[in-house]
Amino acid sequence: MTTEILLFKNINILPELFLGISLVYFVLYGTFLSMNKNFPLIINSCVFLGILILLMTSFLLVNDSLDVLESTILNNTINNDFLSLTSKLIISITSSFCLLMMYTHLNHQKINQFEYILLFLFSILGLFLLCSSNDLLTSYLAIELQSLSFYVLASFKKNSTFSVDAGIKYFILGAFASSLFLFGSSLIYGITGTINFSDFKDLFFWIFPGSILGLSNLEQYYENQDQDILLFALLEKFENSQDKLLSQYDADVLNYEIDNTVLYENAVYNFEKISIYALITSSIIDSMDSILTVSSHEGEISMINRYHLVEWLFFDEIDETCMFYHIYNNYYRLCDNTNEFIEKGIFDEKNKLELTKWFFGSFAFLLANCIKQNDFQDLHVLESSLDTSLLQIGLTFILISLFFKLAIAPFHVWSPDVYEGSPTSSTFFFAIVPKLGLFVLLIRIFYSSFYGLIDNWRYLCVIVAIVSILVGSFGGLEQRKLKTLLAYSSISHMGYSLIAFNSGTFEGIQMLLSYLIVYVFSGLCIWSIFIIARLKNNHSLKHNKDLTDIVLLNKTNKMLALFFTISLFSVAGFPPMIGFLVKVGIFLTAIESSMYFLALISILCSVVATFYYIRIIKIMYFEKVIVGKLYYPITSNKGMVISLLFISLIFLFINPTLIILITHKLSLLLLI
Amino acid sequence: MIINFLFYFFSFILILSSLMVIVVQNAVHSVLFLVLSFISSASLLFLLECEFVALLFIMIYVGAIAVLFLFVVMMLDVKTLTVKKDILKYFPFGSFIGIIFLTEIFLVVSDTFKTNPYIDSSLFNYYTNWLDKVDSLTELESIGQLLYTHYVLQFLIAGNILLLSVIGAVSLTINTRHTTKKQIIFKQLSRTYKNVLIV
Repeated sequence: MTTEILLFKNINILPELFLGISLVYFVLYGTFLSMNKNFPLIINSCVFLGILILLMTSFLLVNDSLDVLESTILNNTINNDFLSLTSKLIISITSSFCLLMMYTHLNHQKINQFEYILLFLFSILGLFLLCSSNDLLTSYLAIELQSLSFYVLASFKKNSTFSVDAGIKYFILGAFASSLFLFGSSLIYGITGTINFSDFKDLFFWIFPGSILGLSNLEQYYENQDQDILLFALLEKFENSQDKLLSQYDADVLNYEIDNTVLYENAVYNFEKISIYALITSSIIDSMDSILTVSSHEGEISMINRYHLVEWLFFDEIDETCMFYHIYNNYYRLCDNTNEFIEKGIFDEKNKLELTKWFFGSFAFLLANCIKQNDFQDLHVLESSLDTSLLQIGLTFILISLFFKLAIAPFHVWSPDVYEGSPTSSTFFFAIVPKLGLFVLLIRIFYSSFYGLIDNWRYLCVIVAIVSILVGSFGGLEQRKLKTLLAYSSISHMGYSLIAFNSGTFEGIQMLLSYLIVYVFSGLCIWSIFIIARLKNNHSLKHNKDLTDIVLLNKTNKMLALFFTISLFSVAGFPPMIGFLVKVGIFLTAIESSMYFLALISILCSVVATFYYIRIIKIMYFEKVIVGKLYYPITSNKGMVISLLFISLIFLFINPTLIILITHKLSLLLLI
Repeated sequence: MIINFLFYFFSFILILSSLMVIVVQNAVHSVLFLVLSFISSASLLFLLECEFVALLFIMIYVGAIAVLFLFVVMMLDVKTLTVKKDILKYFPFGSFIGIIFLTEIFLVVSDTFKTNPYIDSSLFNYYTNWLDKVDSLTELESIGQLLYTHYVLQFLIAGNILLLSVIGAVSLTINTRHTTKKQIIFKQLSRTYKNVLIV
């Protein structure tokens, strides 16, 4: 481990730094202003200051130069790839919309403390760091930063018992979930000796891929793999890297060998084959040293790479029993040599990483050969470190803690209470925004780093998804309060996104991200309408709306009622809205990855869940009322924002390529 | 030999005292046992040559948190009568679940760490072999080096979390505005019918 020197060009986290520093200035501003004797109405200026900060942050995000290949910074702890950039942009824009919608509500609720907005900004900072974190420690700290501010936001209305109750519930369960995350991380650290996601990827994707970790399945696993593809890939890499040195004749010989032998019919024969390749290239070794000494142009790194490749391939004798030891020796030599090269300055940390990755790939290849021989005696060296049952427990703990945070079904019990009890403006925020960040973290942990173990964590996810959809669909039927109903709706939506999450394909990630984006936008639409429609009520502080409160919305404000209806339809998944397309995409992904039962249950439950969405619409339009309460009119700038959100729901249905293309790029760039 | 003996001695005390924290009825005694468990775990850390973390344990847990607990417990004057009934009610189910989890984890842990897994595996801890890098320094120095260079961002985030918790705690407890009604007992008691009437 060498510590990198912090250079300014390395600091790609300028938006986070800006947000963090402006938070400090925000504290100063709020403190000096609220120390004033007159007790000014500070919340208005704070809301607009918050929006300004968020917009400037998103401006910085847009202007961020995106390095596709060198995305990890600060010693691999931060990964600023396209996924994190896009999700951060979405989060900042969404939260500025949230702030814009809620400020009259805050005025009416008589929340006049600048800390409220400050806590918002803190949680957004936490979400930003969550999106780009690349190790367990950073992600834990980000989760803490985000959820600590949520606890305070939930209990912000001190004079309401419900709010305090919600805050304490949220705090206890959230702390419990965080402790589970820590426990899982400590187990994983104990097994692997690292907390970095890219290291996990090296370990469990390159060196010990997939279910060979169970070792009893080892033979079975490589039976199913296409051996030729492995070999061809290696040879192609081999050839490409030395196109200048390897003569055309040599390449032809290689190709001839590959074409004219039935590979892996006889494994021993194939070891000889490899040694033949090694002999062909051994002539290159002689010229290698002179090339190295000449050095100092771009090609030399691949030269060194090649040198080790050749060295590694060149076995003196084809003795399988000492093969693994041979590899180990070569690996250690490789490590030592790279350190030397780094000191000489013809090699940097990045190349070393590449080399390690490459080595792991070839290691897996050789392992495959050995297994083809059914010679398991040599594998006992690996046996001691290959047991993953503890790793699975650690992963399960992390998964459960993140499910707690996302309020997915068996771990959802807190969410309806907390959503109901906390102030509506806070609920508005934490029903929508954090889901995206947490799912980005889930993708990073379980797709980027532990993808090799997908068979192990997938079952849990499938069960949880089914339970979540069932609970979300059937639990919502009983509800009389709008906020609780939306909480149950969010539970079922998280279940749907989890279906896409455990499909394990690129389409799955694509659909997951587009579903989340659409969830965020339609949620924003519904909650904004919910928060700005204010009843003409005697006790204006009461904002826990029953379903029957919206009975006269159609009479008071026809357009608002229409928007509400359409966005509910979109959430339920009716055709001329974007909600339909993404839901279809989810079901298609489930079917394509052969999860038929899951798809069947989720489709049926989706029909059930439609009932409670339609009941709201029925109450709004078809209820006969004698007396009811009217609504205050809304201001024109809010109307503009609402119509913007509403039009986006329909426009995206007509032209879904916008969202599909972005998410496609996201899913493709994810696994570089 | 002596280190082994000390290790078992301190771990025994640790287990015993942490058990007593839960079992003991008197809250003050329970907190004192908590202090004992902190101290014994700190001594375990000393045995593992983690002197800095051990000192941190003593300073933070014993010096700050446990004393704070003790104050709170002494001030609250908690009644202990109802606890026994609850224990009888929840004990079978709770211990059942606890034992299941304990055996599960114990089995897996004992299975995985039967031998040193790094001893002859290719997974030899190449990335984070801290010992090679930092053992020439004292622990305090090495932690400082790591914290301010390698983990500088995490350090900043931790600082932000502290700021957030201070702000959150203050904003939840502060009582400044006129809208919230306060009861001032002194004023109430000092009111007489004579000075209420304004003639």
